[in-house]
Amino acid sequence: MNRRDFIQFGSAAAACGLAPGAFANDGTVTTAIYPGSWEEAYRSIVAPALKRDAGVELRMQSLWAVDQIAKARAARGRAPFDTFILDPGPRVTAIESGLFEKFDASRLKNASKLPPGMIDAHGVNVAGQFVGIAYNPKKFPKPPTSWKELFAEPYVSRLGLTGFQTTFGTVSIIEIAKAFGGSETDVEPFFTELKKVLPKVAVIGNSASMPSLFQQGQCDIMYTNTQTVGTLKAKGVDIEMAVPSSGLIAFFTTFHIAKGSKNVDNAYKFIDTAISTPMQQQLMASPYFMAPVNSEVSLANAGLPLRSLDEMKNMVQHDWTKINPLRAGWIERFNREVAR
Amino acid sequence: MRGLAMRAGEGALVLPLFLTFMLLFAAPLVLLLGVSLHNDPELEQWGLLTWKKFVQDGFYWQATLDTLRLGATTVVAAVLLGYPLALTYLSLGERGQRILLFIIIMPLLLSVVVRTFAWIVILSHEGVVNQTLLALGLTAAPLRLLQTELGLVISLTQIELPMLLLPLIAALSRLDRNLFDASSILGASRWRTLFKVILPLSLPGLIAGCTLVFASSTTAFISQSVIGGNRLVYLPLLIWQQTSVVYHWPMAAVISIVLLCTVLACLYVINLMGRKSMRYLHV
Repeated sequence: MNRRDFIQFGSAAAACGLAPGAFANDGTVTTAIYPGSWEEAYRSIVAPALKRDAGVELRMQSLWAVDQIAKARAARGRAPFDTFILDPGPRVTAIESGLFEKFDASRLKNASKLPPGMIDAHGVNVAGQFVGIAYNPKKFPKPPTSWKELFAEPYVSRLGLTGFQTTFGTVSIIEIAKAFGGSETDVEPFFTELKKVLPKVAVIGNSASMPSLFQQGQCDIMYTNTQTVGTLKAKGVDIEMAVPSSGLIAFFTTFHIAKGSKNVDNAYKFIDTAISTPMQQQLMASPYFMAPVNSEVSLANAGLPLRSLDEMKNMVQHDWTKINPLRAGWIERFNREVAR
Repeated sequence: MRGLAMRAGEGALVLPLFLTFMLLFAAPLVLLLGVSLHNDPELEQWGLLTWKKFVQDGFYWQATLDTLRLGATTVVAAVLLGYPLALTYLSLGERGQRILLFIIIMPLLLSVVVRTFAWIVILSHEGVVNQTLLALGLTAAPLRLLQTELGLVISLTQIELPMLLLPLIAALSRLDRNLFDASSILGASRWRTLFKVILPLSLPGLIAGCTLVFASSTTAFISQSVIGGNRLVYLPLLIWQQTSVVYHWPMAAVISIVLLCTVLACLYVINLMGRKSMRYLHV
């Protein structure tokens, strides 16, 4: 064992621990799940169905996408959970790091119900997410119509900004940069404009606290996903989603099987249950508003910003293979620009 | 010879504890140091480049100073608020003391996350504080309390206050009440008794409390990121970013070591000052 192996083994031992359910094939499956509405939805809807239909008990580890990657990388092939749930950026990172088992679509009974392109060799789409501008209709009877307007009055002094730590934050900032002449890989115009308006911006916060800050009136406009808007609306918060002239941003949330999982059979059963028609139908309903990937699910009256899954092709999408290598630099730059 | 053999036997009794300590405490620190001595996130190249980047970058130094200042400010605020409260505890009867102790301990039974988010409700634009100030006509527009160091210190003071109060009350409770009577019989005013008798004798508890508050507030990642937001950059936020978003473990390890060492150095200074004060006060 050389010094590098020793350090990596030690880090793995320290970071991994012995997560229950991750190593024993005992009628359970452990999935990573996003904290908040995702965890709530899967605990109340998917877990009982999986137990009833497949006899598998669902255990959950509440982790954001970046934390899942950090844990799995630390564990070096002994992931503390059986399945990942990820957004496009962390998904690319995980693929590059070799954190997934090869995905076999033939093991899913419901695979045929998903449109082409929803399953690949790495994993399967489980929900669509749409990002736009959330605003308080009582404070702004006239919503903004473009990303550019966020940096002008009356919006900028009530704006809640988040950085590049999340998928929705990163893609929103890219769209703001594009509105000022930037591109998917050039966010310099965003930083230039941010410098001009920084003292006016109401909130520069982390993604986890933004819904609370919006609810408490600390800010009245922010970029976020339709799911957050739906959840807050269901709680009685004055909030609406404005669609920028360039269109809503769309991306898929995906499931993947962790490399080294000892519960691969149960992991497929879990994923199969999650993409089944009844589950997708229930996850789409209030208060979760998860856009379905199953073509048998009707989107009529779902409160989602699209009538069919095909419409997602016309929405704004991003290439994370280009974004990922630049993201660390952007995060560091954002820290320096916004710090007092 | 027999004495040596006995000492060896005693050493063998301590060995399991020593080995456990080494495994669970020292080994992770050695690993942390090892990870910090890499130039690349893949941990393939040994070197001091990451340390060099940290040392040569003023942004990191500023974040370090801000973190230590936050700890110091919170300690001062907690002492100013906590010491009178501890003295109040001392002056109460047994029932009153039980009630006050329960009030002090109660926040510890709640998650720090819940307490932090409660401060959002209190300090926000439409929160209790701003609504009260507006209703009383003391301000024309809501004050900005969230995402400021003032708001963060206010919330951290409340969150960390039990950490200061518990050792302080324990120290004060051990004092012989006859000393206060002796002090006043000898002509000392109440203030003189406080500064010449009570304060010096309560210093061990006060130092222990300050130590806990300082260590806890400098590393309070949740409160710092939720109440402070991204305008206030402290070392715990940078560690999280480097670990979980950027995946640059060497830099995360460097920042962790800097945080650990600077906090330990400050705690050493607090203890040293405390010990020197005690010596001076007893002269």
